[in-house]
Order: sequence, then C-alpha cells, then structure tokens
Amino acid sequence: MNASGIKVSLGLYTALFIIFLYGPLAVLAILSFQTGPEGGPQFPIIEWSTYWYKHLFGLTPPSRIAPLPIEQALVRSLGLAVMTMIVSTVLGVTAAQAFRKKFRGSGVVFYLIVLGMMVPGVLVGLGMALVANALGIDRHWWGTAFVLHVVYTFPFAFLVMLAIFNRFDPSVEEASWSLGVTPARTFRKITFPLIFPGVLSAMLFAFTLSYDEFSRTLFASGRDLTLPLAIYGTFSVEVHPNVFAFGVLTTLFSFALLGTYAVLMALSVRRAKRMAIQEEA
Amino acid sequence: MTMAATSHDTPVETAEHHARKQPDRTFWLLAPGALWMLLFLVAPILMMVYVSFWTQTTFKIEPTLTLKSWVTFFSSDTYLGALWTTVRIWLIVLVCTLLVGYPAALFVGLFVKNKTLSTALLVLCVIPFWTSFLIRVLAWRPMLGKEGAINMILMKLGVVTQPIEVLLFSELSVIIGMTQIYCVFMVGPIAFMLGRIDPSVIEAAQDLGASFWRIFRTIILPLSMPGVVVGAIFVSVMVLGEFATSAALSGRKVNLLGNIIVTQVGSLKWAFAAVAGVVLTILMGAVVAALLRVVDLRKEL
Repeated sequence: MNASGIKVSLGLYTALFIIFLYGPLAVLAILSFQTGPEGGPQFPIIEWSTYWYKHLFGLTPPSRIAPLPIEQALVRSLGLAVMTMIVSTVLGVTAAQAFRKKFRGSGVVFYLIVLGMMVPGVLVGLGMALVANALGIDRHWWGTAFVLHVVYTFPFAFLVMLAIFNRFDPSVEEASWSLGVTPARTFRKITFPLIFPGVLSAMLFAFTLSYDEFSRTLFASGRDLTLPLAIYGTFSVEVHPNVFAFGVLTTLFSFALLGTYAVLMALSVRRAKRMAIQEEA
Repeated sequence: MTMAATSHDTPVETAEHHARKQPDRTFWLLAPGALWMLLFLVAPILMMVYVSFWTQTTFKIEPTLTLKSWVTFFSSDTYLGALWTTVRIWLIVLVCTLLVGYPAALFVGLFVKNKTLSTALLVLCVIPFWTSFLIRVLAWRPMLGKEGAINMILMKLGVVTQPIEVLLFSELSVIIGMTQIYCVFMVGPIAFMLGRIDPSVIEAAQDLGASFWRIFRTIILPLSMPGVVVGAIFVSVMVLGEFATSAALSGRKVNLLGNIIVTQVGSLKWAFAAVAGVVLTILMGAVVAALLRVVDLRKEL
C-alpha cells in the first residue's frame, strides 16, 4: 500500500501501543528499587536501593511490613505447574492423535475440550468447591485445584498438537513401518522429531498458564496458598514495594522460560534443516 | 457418550481387521481427556446449577430444593446492580479493546511487509500473556495513583495543577486496566485475518482509483470481521468472568458478578454464589451466541 502517510501514523500508533502494553510494568520495575522500609510505592524515588528484594528473602531487620509468604507458596506453585504440564501435554497429545482420524461425534468432543479454556475460572472454581463440599472431600492445591488447572491448560496443549498433526504427513510413518522399522524406533526417529516443537509449545503453555493461574485456584485450593494467591491477598491491603520486587522477579522468571523455549525451538529447527541437507546430499 | 457412539460406526465391510482396530484406538485415545472434562468441568458446572436451588441457612446449604436464592437475587438492588455493572463494563471494555487494538493490528497485519518484523511485533504484543496477570493488574496502581506516574508527568508538563484523583479506585481505572490486559486478544485474531488478505485485491482497488477510506470500508473491514468476532468472543468471555481487576483497581467501588461470587463464597453463602454463577453463565452464553450470529465463523475461516 502506498499511502505512506497512513503507514507512518499507524507505525507511530503501534509504538505507542507497545508502550501502553509495557509501560506499567516498567514503572513497577523502577519503583521496586525504592528505598525501604519508609519508602512507599510511589514517586519520587527517595533513594535507589535493593532493600525490597532483600526484604523478599527475609534478609532485612524486622519492620512493620510483614514479609510476603512466598517460600512455601513458590514450592507449591512450581510443583503444581510441573504436574499440570505433564498431564496436560500427555492428554493433549493423545486427544490430538485421535483427531487425526475422522470419527462421528468429533465436533462435540472438540467443543467439550475447548470449553475448558473458555469457561471462566471463577465458575469452575465455584463448581469444584461445591462438588468437593457435597462429596466431603478436602480441597487441596494438589487435588481439586490441580484437576482444574489441567481443565484449563489441556485445551491449549490439544489445539497446539492439532495444528502440528494437521501439517504432519502420515505417509512418512507408514513408509517407516513398511520398511520393517519397529513402531518404537519409528516413533523415536520419525514421529517424535516432527511433533517435538508442538510438544514443547504445549508444555510452555501448560506450565506458564498454571504457574500464573489463580481464579480457579482461589476456590479450589483450600488453606495452602500458591504464589498468585499470595499476591491476590495483598490486593485488599496496602501495597508495599516488596510486591513490586516480587513482580519483577516473577516476570524475569517468565522471560527466562520464554527464552529457554525460544532456544530449544531454534535448535530443533536447525537440526531439522541439517537433516534435510544431509538427505539431499 | 459420544465416544460410545464412535465404536458403533465401524465400517466392517472393508479391511475388517484394520477397521475393527481403528475406532477402538480412537476411543482409548480420547477417553482420558474427555472423561477428565466431563468429571472436572461439566459436572462442577451442573453442580453449580443444582446448588442454586438448594436451601441456604446461615452457614450451610441443604439439598432441599427452593427458589428462595433466585428470588433474593432478583429482588436485591446489590445483585441487580452488579449484573448491570458487569454488562456496562463488558460493553465499554469490548469497544475500547477494539478501538485501541484495531489500528495496531492493521499496521502489523497489513502494512508491515517484512515477515520477520511483523512476527516480531506480534510476539512483542503477546509476550505479556505469559507473565503474571495479577502483577500486570497491580502495575496500574503506581501508574494511576494520586502520586502515580501519569499524574506526575501531567503536573510536570503543566497540563494539570492538581493531581487527578479519579484515575485510580474508580470505574475508569478498571476500564483502563482491562483494556490493556485484554486488547492483545483483539490484536492477534484481527492481525491474523488481515495478513491473509490477498495484496492484489487492494492493489486492484488502488489502480481503479479508490481512496484509502473506501478500500478500508469495502475491502479491509469486511475481510477482517471474522478476526474481530473471534477477538470479541475472547475478550467478552474473559471480561465477564473477571473479578481481580476490579478488586485491585476499583477500591471496592466496582462490583462485578465475579466479585459477588467471591464475597458470597467468603461468607459461606454457597447457594447465592451459585445463583450469581448461573446468571453469569447464561449471560456469557447469550453474548457468545449473539457474536457467532454476526459472522458465520465456519464459513469464513
């Protein structure tokens, strides 16, 4: 399109849009370096310091500001995310594998699965709490909350794998079988390398979504807090910069996960390219 | 239920051995996932509907069926007010995400010809989705507060002499926060649809002398409509089920149906919470159904 005036103004707008997306996080990051314990969660920065980061790890002398209850919560959140990741990815791969063949009722099953990512957490959480109450089951993060996390992340894994299998030529597998290669070896040498990027994406989705999930966890996890619940707890009280420092650390953790994912993806793409070149030679 | 149906339609005539095995395989591959969804998604929602008709006593619910909770909900100004607030906030945020997101999607999807750059921009938009939702909500507090970044900048620039207090702990702050968090879900689908427009169609229109606005109205906008509808469904479902943004940014001034559910559960009023939940479910179903009527997605995608 040669309407360059429009293009320039839209480009400027997009730059502003990106600032709109990242600006608040940047401000939060700056304020996390406020001096403590007397510095509040606002400008101006009285003095730059890492007080609130030390406060987070309990390295500061006791003050009137209670430390965030994150130690146990971090262990729980990571455990929950790993459990959810494994189960969601396995369920996602198997369900998508079934969808490679046409079968009657596939539409209903498809919507049943996708419903899991659409229904708001507050509704499933409430429903699960009611079921647990009626059956007399105690609610725990590793029980009632965990199954809801899978309900939420399994559809993402399923959709990712569905997209991968759609581009996947089954004749490659069949060729391998007909040449007498064992199914196990076929899976290892042919199927798995082809679906690996999808499995990786499904795992990333499941882990990060579960790690940050809280509306399902709120009603379903009982007394023990996960990390997002610990943050949610600070909403109703005065916010101190220690929450900001925690926000910076957890955001960096998310970025590190994304970075690892990007590196692994790049490696897998490069490997695929090298294999293709070898075949040609 | 549906899986049971699949095992019946075996095409026995051809390749008997193979055909016998295939539906079984499909069944066993689907059974774990489908069962998980039936037990932990469908059953809880049905339970919620059922409990909304239970009898609520001070701290307990009893399985004696009654319409009392429903009558209380629809005769209470608080609950009806929450329903109205939910609808209002949803409509405003939906329009805001569309207005804020569309131009960005237009640039990324249509104007950026370099494939790498357009992917990079899209990734940049989507990255926040992988970071903590609660932290992103909380990040608006130091932005909008009385001594926040926006007030500070406006006062430095001399635009205002007094800090604007209405920015935080008001309906406005909830709308700003939600717009920022959810507009990504608008940008993605719209940019995707725009990226699929054949450039030669637009070139042809230009060669025939159509102005940009004419091209936008007659080609770009209609072809991007499926993206708008998909984005609107995402945003609607998420905004209607919200309670955290209003809890963090409104200072309890904005009560959505989600907030009602949280408070009712907090005071063990399970039956009332269930009624609010069912109302929310019906509202959401109606909204999604209405949006799907605007554009036939199956035909368009």
